[in-house]
Amino acid sequence: MSATDAPTGEQLLSVYRTMLVSRAFDEECMRRLDRGEVVPHFHSGVGQEALMVASVAPLRPEDQIIYTHRGYGHLLAKGVSVLEIALDTYNKTGGTTEGLGGLMHVNRPDLGIPGREGVFGTRFGVAAGLALAEQLRGTDGVCVCFYGEAAGARGPLYEALNMSKLWELPVVFVAENNGWSFTSRTEWLYPTRRMSDAWTGFVDVEVVDGNDPEAVWSAVTSSVERVRAQGGPAVVEGMTYRLDPHIWWDDASYQPDAEIAAWRERDPVPATRRRLTELGFASDLLDDLETSARAEVADAFERADAAPEATWDTARERGMV
Amino acid sequence: MTELTQTGAAVSTMKAALTEVLGQELARSSDVLVLGETIRDGGAAGVAAGLFERFGSRQVIETPVSENAIFGAVLGLALSGFTPIVEIYSADFLLAVANEVVNDIPKWRQQQGRGGALPIVIRGCMGANGGLGPEHSQAMEPYLHHTPGLTVVTPGTPADAAGLLRSAIASPDPVVFLEHRRLYDVAGPVPTDPGHRVPLGRAELVAEGDDLTVVAWGWMRTEAVLAVEALAREDITADLIDPRTISPIDWDPILASVERTGRLLVAEETPITGSVGAEIVARVVERSSRPVQVARVAMPDAIHPYSAAMERELLPTAEDVARAARQLVTRRWEAAATKAGQETNEGGSAC
Repeated sequence: MSATDAPTGEQLLSVYRTMLVSRAFDEECMRRLDRGEVVPHFHSGVGQEALMVASVAPLRPEDQIIYTHRGYGHLLAKGVSVLEIALDTYNKTGGTTEGLGGLMHVNRPDLGIPGREGVFGTRFGVAAGLALAEQLRGTDGVCVCFYGEAAGARGPLYEALNMSKLWELPVVFVAENNGWSFTSRTEWLYPTRRMSDAWTGFVDVEVVDGNDPEAVWSAVTSSVERVRAQGGPAVVEGMTYRLDPHIWWDDASYQPDAEIAAWRERDPVPATRRRLTELGFASDLLDDLETSARAEVADAFERADAAPEATWDTARERGMV
Repeated sequence: MTELTQTGAAVSTMKAALTEVLGQELARSSDVLVLGETIRDGGAAGVAAGLFERFGSRQVIETPVSENAIFGAVLGLALSGFTPIVEIYSADFLLAVANEVVNDIPKWRQQQGRGGALPIVIRGCMGANGGLGPEHSQAMEPYLHHTPGLTVVTPGTPADAAGLLRSAIASPDPVVFLEHRRLYDVAGPVPTDPGHRVPLGRAELVAEGDDLTVVAWGWMRTEAVLAVEALAREDITADLIDPRTISPIDWDPILASVERTGRLLVAEETPITGSVGAEIVARVVERSSRPVQVARVAMPDAIHPYSAAMERELLPTAEDVARAARQLVTRRWEAAATKAGQETNEGGSAC
C-alpha cells in the first residue's frame, strides 16, 4: 500500500454520500418492516457501508463486481440508482430485473455488474472467468468479488483461487467478515475466526478494518492496482459487523444486545462523518448530504410504490425473456 | 476423413468428426475456446487431440480438476462475449457441477432479466462401455431433460455428431452435448462441408414402416437400427425416429408417426423410472387422437456393476428392442417388454 492509494478528502466525501444513501435505503426498509409490511428478500447492510462502498468507489467504470446478497452499497457505488433497486425490491416494472430476479439479482452489465448467482459459491468461478476474459482480450479490467461467511466456506473459492493464481488472473476476492452467518458465529465456521487465514501464504492477503473507509479504500486500491498490473489474485478481508437482522423476517434474537451496542460505537456512518469534520468539511455540508440522501431514498420508494407490477408482458417488451 | 463414399462426404469415426469440427470452429473465431481437464493431451477420450498444438494455450485451456470453478468461469467467459466449449471428463461428473449446470447457467439470463446470447457448450462422454462402474457409465439425459433453459443433444451417428456440434456452438443458448462412448469409434459418412449443420431440435426419420413407431437416440439408435432390420425380415415394419435433441424434443414427427401406427416403443439406456422415455410415452398418449399401445425398453432401476458381463445383463440390446416390438405388434401384453419389466414380473431385482 502506498500513500497514493489513500482517498482524497473529496473522494472520502463521495464515499460518505453513497454510504448515507445505502443507510437511508436500509432504514426505510426497516421502517416498513416495523409497520408490518413485507420487503421481499431484503438483507440490511447497516454497519457494513464502509466496506461495501469504499471497496467499489475506487474502481474504474470497466472494472466488474460480483456483490453479495447483503446491502446495496456495492450497487450504489458502481452507479445503480436507488430507484432501480427499489423497483427491483417490489418486482415493479422499470427495474433491472423486471420481476424475474427481484432484489437478489440487481444487475447492470453496462456498469460492470453482470449479475449474481442464487446458490452462493458459483460467484468465485464466474469472477475468475470474467478476469480470464480480460486477460484473453488483453484489456485491463479487474473483477472484484465480494463474499460472506457462507459462500467463503464452499469449495469453489479454493478452486477459483487456485485457478486465478495458476493463470495470474486480475481478480480480487473481498471477504466481508461481519461476525455472523445468519445465526452462526463466524468462529463456529472458521477455526481462526478469520475468513482469509487459509489463503495466507498462497495468495496476497490483507486484513483491514472494514468500518474504516479510508483503510478499506487503500487496501482494495492497492490490491486492485497490483493485480491489474501484475496479475493476481488477491484477497482482502474486511472486519465488520452486521448491526441489523440477517433478513427481513429475522428478529436477530441470537445476537447479544451488548455485542450490538459495542459495535454501534464503531458504526462507520457517524465515524466517517467525524473524520470528514476533522478534514475540514463543514457541518452544513454534511447535514445537507444526510438530508438529500434521505430525500432521494424517499422519492425512490414513493415512485416504486406507485409503479406498476412487472409482468411477463413487460418483461417481454423489454427483451428480458 | 480419407475415403470418399459419396459426393461431399467422407468416412469418419464420430471421434474424428468431433475433433474436425472443434478445429474448424477454433480456426473460425478466436472467441471460441476449448477448456477441460487433460485437454492438452486431447481430453478424456481424445476428442480434443491435436488442438493444443494447433491453437495454443490461449484457445485450448487446460484446467485443474475444479469443475465448479471451471463451469463458473465458463459462465463468466460467455458473459464476456466468448463461446466456451467445456469438456466434462465423464458426463456423470455433471452431478458434481450440477449447481452451475442446472442452477446457474440455464437460469442466468432470466434471473438477471437479460435476454441475448449465452453461448456455452458443455460436452463430454457418457454411457456404458463395459466395466467402467456406476459413476462413469450413466447415460445422463434423464437428469438434464427436466431443466428448462438447457438444450440437451445426444448424437447417434458421426454425421449427426459433426452437424449437431456445429449447431451447438452456433446456438445462443447453453447446450449439453452428450457423446456416447460406444459411438466414438463407429465410422460413417460425414459431409465434408465445414458449414454443414444439423439443426437442434429436429428429429430424423431413420427408417419407415407401418406397424409401430420406435424412438431411440444415442447408442440405442444403433441397437434400434439392428432391431428394425431384424423385424423387417419378419414382415414387421417400423418407423424409427431419432430425436437427436432430447430437450427441446421434436414432438411433431413422433406424434405424426404414432397417429399412423398406433404403437410406440421407446428404447433408452437408462434406469426406467423417470426416464426420457416416460415423458415421451406420456406426451404421445396425451396428445394422440387414437388409443396408443406403448412399450419401453430400458435398464432396470439398477446400478452399473464393474463386471462388464454383469453389466451386459442390464443394458438394452437390439434383441430386447425386437422382442418388445414383436410383443407390441402381437399384443402379447402379459409379457413385459422391458428388461426392467421382466425383472419386476419375475419378482427379482438386478442389483
